Parts: sequence; C-alpha cells; structure tokens
Amino acid sequence: MTSRAAAFALIAVLVAAAPLLHAQTRLGGNIRANPPSGPVPRLPDGKPDMTGVWLGGLPVGDISTALPKGETMPIRPEWKKKMDGFQANDDPQAHCLPLPPPRFTPYPWRIVVTPTHTFFLYEMYDYRQVFMDGRKHPTGDDLDPTWKGHSIGRWDGDTLVIDTVGYNDKTWFDNKGWPHSDKIHLIERYTRTDLGTMKVEMTIDDPVAYTRPFTVTGAARLMPNEELVEYICNENNQDAPYLQGAKP
Amino acid sequence: MKATAIMVMTGIALVACAGAALAHHSFAAQYDATKHVELKGVVTKIEWTNPHARFYVDEKNDKGEVTAWNFEMASPNVLLRNGWKRTSLEIGEQVTVTGYLARTGPPAGPKMAIAESLTASDGRKMFASSATDLSPR
Repeated sequence: MTSRAAAFALIAVLVAAAPLLHAQTRLGGNIRANPPSGPVPRLPDGKPDMTGVWLGGLPVGDISTALPKGETMPIRPEWKKKMDGFQANDDPQAHCLPLPPPRFTPYPWRIVVTPTHTFFLYEMYDYRQVFMDGRKHPTGDDLDPTWKGHSIGRWDGDTLVIDTVGYNDKTWFDNKGWPHSDKIHLIERYTRTDLGTMKVEMTIDDPVAYTRPFTVTGAARLMPNEELVEYICNENNQDAPYLQGAKP
Repeated sequence: MKATAIMVMTGIALVACAGAALAHHSFAAQYDATKHVELKGVVTKIEWTNPHARFYVDEKNDKGEVTAWNFEMASPNVLLRNGWKRTSLEIGEQVTVTGYLARTGPPAGPKMAIAESLTASDGRKMFASSATDLSPR
C-alpha cells in the first residue's frame, strides 16, 4: 500500500469509527465539561496523537491579548491607519469568506494528521490542507496568493510545526481586524500537552505590515465525543447589508 | 418532548447578547442596544439556517393590525449545543420575545431584530442567541 493509500484508509477508519464509538452521546452533551486530563495519547510510531475535536486556540476578538505580557502589536503606522478605517462590513466573516489562522472562531475544529497530509476541519466553515511529505513551498510565479496560503508541516519533537506562505492580503487576524500583507509568513506550533489540552503558538512575520516578527500563544481544549456540525455560512446571510459603522 | 430539549436560562443569553460579539458579526454593528423590544405574537416561519437561524413572528395590536418581525438567533450548531432541536419551535406557536432592533430597517418586509429571550406559551424558556456560548461557564 502506498503511503497515500494508507492515509486514506486511516481517515476512513477514523471517520467510520466515530459514530460507533459515540452513538449514545447527544451532540454537545459535554461542551461545558472540563477537558479531560491524562497523558498525551500516542500513535504506534511514538508521535503524539493529535486526533480530536478541539475548541479554542487564540483569542477570537483580539489576538494582541495573546502577546507576551507588556508587548504591543508592532504594526507599521500606515497599516494601523488602514485598520482604523475598517468598517464592520469589511470583515471577511460578515461575507462568509475564509477565516484562516491566526484567526479562530468560537466554534470547534478537528485535526487529522496522516503521513502525507494534515487536515484542519473548521466547523466555521472551511478546511485546510498541510503537506507533510517533505515538499517545499512553490516560489516565484508558482506561488499564487490564496486565502489559505501554501502550508507545509513537520514534526519538531512532540510539536507539529506548520509553515505557511502565499496568503492573499484579504483576511484579518481576529474580529478586531488586525491586518496583514501578502508577504506574511506564518509559523504555527501545535503541542498536545496532555489528553485534553493543545498548546497553540503562532509566529507572524510580515515585514510589510509589521516592524518585527511577533508570537501569540493560546490553548485549545479537547471536546470529547463531539462532532462538527454543518455550517453553510452563505445559505441565508441577511446580515451584511445591515452592518454599520466602525469595527468594535 | 420539546420541554426537555430547552434548558438554558434566559439570563445567560441576555448577558451574553448585550455585551457581545456574535460569531458571525458584531452585535453593535447591526443592532441598537438602546432599542429594546418586547412583544407577543405567533410564529409564522422558522429558518434553520446559517449564519443564523431565524424565526418570524406576527404581532397583532388591539386594533387587529399586524406587525411582522424577523428575529435573528444563534446558528444551528450553537442552538443544538444549547438544547434545541430543529422542531423545538413550531409554526403557529404563541411566543413572547425580547430583543433589540436593528440599526437600519429593511426597505420592505418584516422588522429586523435579534432575539435575546424566547418564551413559549407554555412557559418554556428557549436559548435564543449569543455565540460566546461554547465557552465554559
């Protein structure tokens, strides 16, 4: 079996097993329970098993609150001015457009790590693919700016490290609207520190919009027995025409 | 049983709604916290949709004149996790609703508002909105 076929088989087993394991659990029956504690589960090869539905990550409202104590966002003045001019209706979220990291939502996400890819499935409301096969980023004309960028991943000890370039400049970091250019280079580090906790650390290097790289840190908690719920954002979006005024 | 499906206290929704960022858009950008509404009426339509579920209510005054309302709630994922089923509210039900009026009215059609509390005629209190609702309380 090729490694890719093995990956698909693994996903098929995971997906098929989930409802059998949790058939008796009402959706959301445990969303306010404390996350379980215990040792980090591990795969046969010794790597941490990241599998699960997770809630949280970085602050939804303002990622500057996840900076180290005493630090402020090193945004360049012209980009701060641009940000201050954003209206509520400019938020990609209001138009059901993608919300890639470092942006998080109040809703759960699932991570699936395979030998060839890591997939993030975000309830609100998209997926991401991360190449784990050792390839490099495309360069030059081969790197098209996209909403979610080009992501490659690797293990650094027990930490899953994801390196992304090739973003467009249309997304925000949070509800507050911290902006970025298409030259952003994002490094995400996910570490399952125990059974119920995933440490999330992101280093943002965008020399166009910010004067230096900076790192924001947070955590997600496991939602045992939870499943993602369909969220088709654009099916009845009546809100956008009513959104008025500056961002909160 | 519908009655068993709904359990979250109105007060939580009220507090969460008044302060809060909704998941899909900010409260303050769309609704006016100074324009509180409270009314009784009959449910005429339910939309179990994203980014927000909605229910529509016809409110009749003493003269028999009808005002139509379009109330935003949380999204179905949040409603499900707060005890709802798609069938928890039915067309034709008499409800009491509180909420906040949109800053801008639609050019035509029902008045737009966000629901902060929803009480059925048998006294069932239903979770209505806010999307800060998945966080531990």
